[in-house]
Amino acid sequence: MTFREYLSDRMERLIIETVFAAAAAGFLVAAGTAAGVVVILLIAWLATAVGMLLFDYYQCRIRLQELWAVMDGLDEKYLFAECVTKGRSIYERKLLELSRRAGKSMIRAVSDAREAQREYQEYVESWVHEIKTPMTAAELVCRNADAKTRQKLLPELAQIQAHVERALFYARAGSAEKDILVREVDLAEVVAQAIGNHRMLLIESGIRVETEQIEQNVYTDAKWAAFLLGQLLQNAARYRSEHPVVTLSGRQLGKQVQLAVSDNGIGIPAHEQPRVFDRGFTGQNGRARGGSTGMGLYLCRRVAGCLEADLWLSSEEGRGTTVTITFPAKENLTKL
Amino acid sequence: MQKIMIIEDDPVIRDELALLLENEGYAPLTVTDFSDIPEQAKSSRPALILLDIGLPGKDGFRLCADLQKTVRIPIIFVTSRDSSLDEIRALGLGGDDYITKPYHIPVLMSRIKAVLRRSGGAAEPDVTEALGLRVDMAKGTAQTESGKVELTRNELQILACLMRRPGEIVSRADLIETLWENRIYIDDNTLSVNVTRLRKKLEELGRPDLIKTRRGMGYQL
Repeated sequence: MTFREYLSDRMERLIIETVFAAAAAGFLVAAGTAAGVVVILLIAWLATAVGMLLFDYYQCRIRLQELWAVMDGLDEKYLFAECVTKGRSIYERKLLELSRRAGKSMIRAVSDAREAQREYQEYVESWVHEIKTPMTAAELVCRNADAKTRQKLLPELAQIQAHVERALFYARAGSAEKDILVREVDLAEVVAQAIGNHRMLLIESGIRVETEQIEQNVYTDAKWAAFLLGQLLQNAARYRSEHPVVTLSGRQLGKQVQLAVSDNGIGIPAHEQPRVFDRGFTGQNGRARGGSTGMGLYLCRRVAGCLEADLWLSSEEGRGTTVTITFPAKENLTKL
Repeated sequence: MQKIMIIEDDPVIRDELALLLENEGYAPLTVTDFSDIPEQAKSSRPALILLDIGLPGKDGFRLCADLQKTVRIPIIFVTSRDSSLDEIRALGLGGDDYITKPYHIPVLMSRIKAVLRRSGGAAEPDVTEALGLRVDMAKGTAQTESGKVELTRNELQILACLMRRPGEIVSRADLIETLWENRIYIDDNTLSVNVTRLRKKLEELGRPDLIKTRRGMGYQL
């Protein structure tokens, strides 16, 4: 609040006071008071008025600064009214009271929504665990069945698994910090795990996977990183061209390690590239092919965020797509 | 035959897993009475225990702790719970490995092998011999009476896979899957190229037709 703003706010009262003082002075002069006395009275009045104005301005300013400081220091801004000291004037106290009530109703709404969200997430997580038992049973039955049935059923089961896995990580990403354990892991192990998880789909797609310089140590959570890589591998299989090859190559970049996942698939049109990480975005490839949910890359970005890794995509239509993951250096990690 | 005890409450998984382990040459022991597992383990002395966490009565964690107190048998946790905390807890309680459902069967098998190997069970031999051919996995060589050739990693794994089942037809799909398990991620074409090269090397050893192609079915030694 500047002094000018304060003045313009008080302008009405100032004008009334000035008019009243002028009228009083006129009355005193008409009633025969000596002009000198009237001038002295006016000066005294002016001094008092200006003094009070300045005092009030500074008090308001200090109070406002105090309130701003409280606001700035709060993580949950809606708790503001609960955290400020008692107001100076009755008007301020009443206003704060109103604001407090509004805040309370807000807090209730927020905690209700959080609770609902938490319950939903718990349900999805427990559902995913429940479904895993029959899925495991199905896979075992399938393995012991004849070769023909096995060859038909295993890819279907693998797809169900991929969908279930995405649902689980989607539910978990909201409270990832509970599950993520960042430590030094062998990148080659993470890569092998990701490839192993999607072996069925990759072999089925006739993909050759090449690895280069992945014998490096990175700071990440192996399970989450493998999930992320798995999404990229699935995309490479889904949007493949005729002789599909996926290359996973590691690179030391200062204290960071980069992993590039490149395919020689159909690529993404340039105008769609800025939106590929958006939730639910399915480009023309996804629509043409069908079965695309627009969740894969969105989840990748969220998971990368949880792992404090950078994700960068470049693609050329008809030539292929490269997604580069930059794992954080140990020094830059906030959670270890 | 090594005995493997399956502690799992889902009857379908239990029975199918038992069947699978039997086919792989193990002797599965299924547990249907979950009341006194440490006692059962003590009397039957399995080489390995596959332990589920969600069980009726005592859960897998407590069972693991009890088992560690009575007998010293390697334990692999097999569970649908895949949070990091569960895994750390399981390994902290003395579990030897932790596999989450739904697992890939080949992965489960290789983990079982690895744990058995660590616990001093039968190690996979470095040298395999079949049909007059001697393959040294450690040195990467194949040898007959007439000579010795060096093989690449891919050729070695292809030959080893065929030699494990001499006389049997191994389908291309099985061969590719086995190679992928060994982190050789090749496609169908590369497999053909590798097999051709392998044949050429075997020809140098005087065994040009050792690997037979069975059209539409696969390869046979």
